Amino acid sequence: MITFTSFPVAPDPYLARNDDAADYLPDSDYMDVDLEEESDAGSSKLTCPGESITSSHAFMRGHGTYVENEEVISSVAGLIERVNKLVTVRALRTRYNPEVGDLVVGRITEVQPRRWKVDANSRQDAVLMLSSVNLPGGVQRRKLESDELQMRNFFEEGDLLVAEVQAFFADGAMSLHTRSLKYGKLRNGQLVTVPPILVRRLKSHFYTLPCGVDLILGLNGYIWVSKHVKENEQEGEEGFDAEAVYSNKNDEIDEATRTAISRVTNIIRVLATHSIPLTDTLLLEAYEWAIEADVDLKDLLQEDIGDALIAAVTNR
Amino acid sequence: MSSRIEILNDGGFRSDGRLPSELRSLAFDLSPQAGADGSAMVSHGLTQVLVSVFGPREAKSRAQTMHNRAALNVEVSVAPFSTSDRRRRGRGDKRVQEIVAMIKSTFEPVVQTALYPRSQIDIFVHVLQQDGGVLQASINATTLALTAAGVPLLDLVCAITAGVHSTSPDSPLLDLTTLEENDCPSVTVAVMPRSGKLTLVSLETRVHVDVFKGILEVVGEAGKVLSLEMKRAVLARTKMLKDAMGAGLRTAEFAEDAGGDE
Amino acid sequence: MRPPSPSIPEKEFLVASLAQNLRIDGRSLLEMRPTRVLAHVDAKMVRPPPERPYEGIITVHSEISPMASSLYEPGRPSEEEVALSRMLDKVLRRSDTVDKEALCVLAGQRVWHLRLTIHCLADAGNLQDCACIAGIAALKHFRRPEVEVVGDEIIVHPPTSRAPVPLAMHHTPLNLTFAFFPDASTTSSSSSNAPVDTTSLDGPVPSSTSPAPQMLLDPSPLEATLASSTLALALNSQRELCVVHKAGGMPLSPADVLRAVNVATDRVRELVSRIDRDISTDWNSRGVEVQ
Repeated sequence: MITFTSFPVAPDPYLARNDDAADYLPDSDYMDVDLEEESDAGSSKLTCPGESITSSHAFMRGHGTYVENEEVISSVAGLIERVNKLVTVRALRTRYNPEVGDLVVGRITEVQPRRWKVDANSRQDAVLMLSSVNLPGGVQRRKLESDELQMRNFFEEGDLLVAEVQAFFADGAMSLHTRSLKYGKLRNGQLVTVPPILVRRLKSHFYTLPCGVDLILGLNGYIWVSKHVKENEQEGEEGFDAEAVYSNKNDEIDEATRTAISRVTNIIRVLATHSIPLTDTLLLEAYEWAIEADVDLKDLLQEDIGDALIAAVTNR
Repeated sequence: MSSRIEILNDGGFRSDGRLPSELRSLAFDLSPQAGADGSAMVSHGLTQVLVSVFGPREAKSRAQTMHNRAALNVEVSVAPFSTSDRRRRGRGDKRVQEIVAMIKSTFEPVVQTALYPRSQIDIFVHVLQQDGGVLQASINATTLALTAAGVPLLDLVCAITAGVHSTSPDSPLLDLTTLEENDCPSVTVAVMPRSGKLTLVSLETRVHVDVFKGILEVVGEAGKVLSLEMKRAVLARTKMLKDAMGAGLRTAEFAEDAGGDE
Repeated sequence: MRPPSPSIPEKEFLVASLAQNLRIDGRSLLEMRPTRVLAHVDAKMVRPPPERPYEGIITVHSEISPMASSLYEPGRPSEEEVALSRMLDKVLRRSDTVDKEALCVLAGQRVWHLRLTIHCLADAGNLQDCACIAGIAALKHFRRPEVEVVGDEIIVHPPTSRAPVPLAMHHTPLNLTFAFFPDASTTSSSSSNAPVDTTSLDGPVPSSTSPAPQMLLDPSPLEATLASSTLALALNSQRELCVVHKAGGMPLSPADVLRAVNVATDRVRELVSRIDRDISTDWNSRGVEVQ
């Protein structure tokens, strides 16, 4: 009498194989499996809340686990990972867990005395201190009372920005900074949101696609797709122009660029719904496929075309 | 208000053809709701509940913020079309308020709220169809939605309703329909499958102590069975996500290698 | 207003006392203590709703006024108040305490409407149990005027001409609240949740195999705040459970629940006989005279 409609995809081989979900779990020698084998390990690497993983005598518990009765027990559904004696479980769908140095895209939610609150898809709003932004006048200088009074001239509620995680407060909230010419207010494009796990830590999170589109892959799953801005405009320490950096005016954008931006955005959405991690090469391939197949950009979001796109880029 | 339909006939079958210890058909749907961090739809027969979870995220109001842990915010809405007599239940309805209180207190000790100081986890419960066991379906759906949102839980809590009919006090009926709920005393229990302990026990009608003992035993067993099914659904989804990611990653790595050669 | 949370030494004091089977107000672990609640019943005759023409109506009103404790504020009903009124509703009304059909005077035309009003005068903890006892006592003590039906006419005899009659009651359910404390040896580690905490690896942890939790009856406010879970049982002297309510808190094993049920059956029997005794004493002292 029991039926499943667990996920909108084809019947799962896992269900067929495991008639009794109780005994799928690892026996004691499970933990001897080396981390290197992880990429092709079977479903035994998965766990869900309340499953015991290993003994707490031999291992230390990490994120996603807790200890009870001398056993390390998973508290989230996801992949078991092991580094030496540390056992963690990584959830496959969760909010963004910030780390210092991460690049994030966020939206201002509140202007407070000497600080902005920024929504960055994390468990609390991030904080952007007035002292962590570039102030008008170029060179590093002390912030003045006049800066405090005109905070809304820099960032207002609703503004999007790209920033770097600088540090954490005692309660776990992250502090951001935009003290680089690469960071600051975002213009000339649109935001698309994906699960944070699909954005991997890379050497650079700024990409320029050949179709004249700039991409900023925020590690928090917020992705900014915008018109390409020439490199030389971004560089030069002395070239800091507060007026330009904090301006709310979009540049002139021609129709071809707008189409390209929308196409890239839709491709990202399709990849995200199929849970495919994003990389520049993958995006580029998908973009080329979309051009070659001559798909209208709004049709990309249709299920069959989306599936075809995924099949094309994953089976190469 | 007794109905003319036999709750349990002489052959030991219930009005819908089930044996006393049989559950109705279960369906768990973990496919994502747009915008929610995690969501789940659970059906027990004709009872259907959809739960969306948002968070942990910045607490909406300062007053609710707790410096040492996350606040759980539960809201229940009962669709007016969920019962045969179309009736709007507002948020102020006592019955709805009680379900809210019970869901909240069931999950407060189970969610590891201490990991998210000053945050808030919102749980929105939508009762789409009612045919008995609304509380049990709501709790099960909330467990799955929280898991889907990656919120750390001590265990997969699962709830189940059982009742006894006066003709056979020794064989409790599991997973009651509205018809049976109206005629039998019923108990809703939420079980932590790992330890077999109970986080919620709710009985609202008169039943003898000895009968109650019998119900508790049966319900504990049924909870374990149900939890296996939930676990299976969660693992199937996790595996699906992992495979999709794995496929994407392999291609990406391959493409990167190829790109390096050129 | 969120009640101020107890200080750590306060908590430590109470928990340490419990470890020695002592309670801070000197009661034994399963002893009860009165709180003050006023309950009042009145009755009037109304036309019954068409869907239930043969049954009388009972409504229960409860109110926690700010005089009960400084924690309660006037205005919007607090969470405690909602919980209290739900509990009273379940125990006194939904469990068929009063024979509703006996409240019918003339089918479809006239039935008695009982209004039970409960005022909480002083909250020294465990308001729910107290309110429930008060409600039951009030219902038992209540006498309604006798009525006579002649044809279609209803004659209500005033108490001066005919003795009023008591209500027909099926049973007398009483609510009892238990507070559970984890066994003293495991209280020190309330599951430390730091992501990586090596110290907890060998520390004691609450576990499924840990000894049974300590169980207190009739918790005081401090005990109720500090308890890791509470369990409310309503049952009558015939060993029938009417309401079991345990939501949240520390999970309990079925055995713990049954242990509480066993204690409660004895306690309820004592309470019911005490209520009956007090009511009959009161009634005898009134000297009803039939003219």
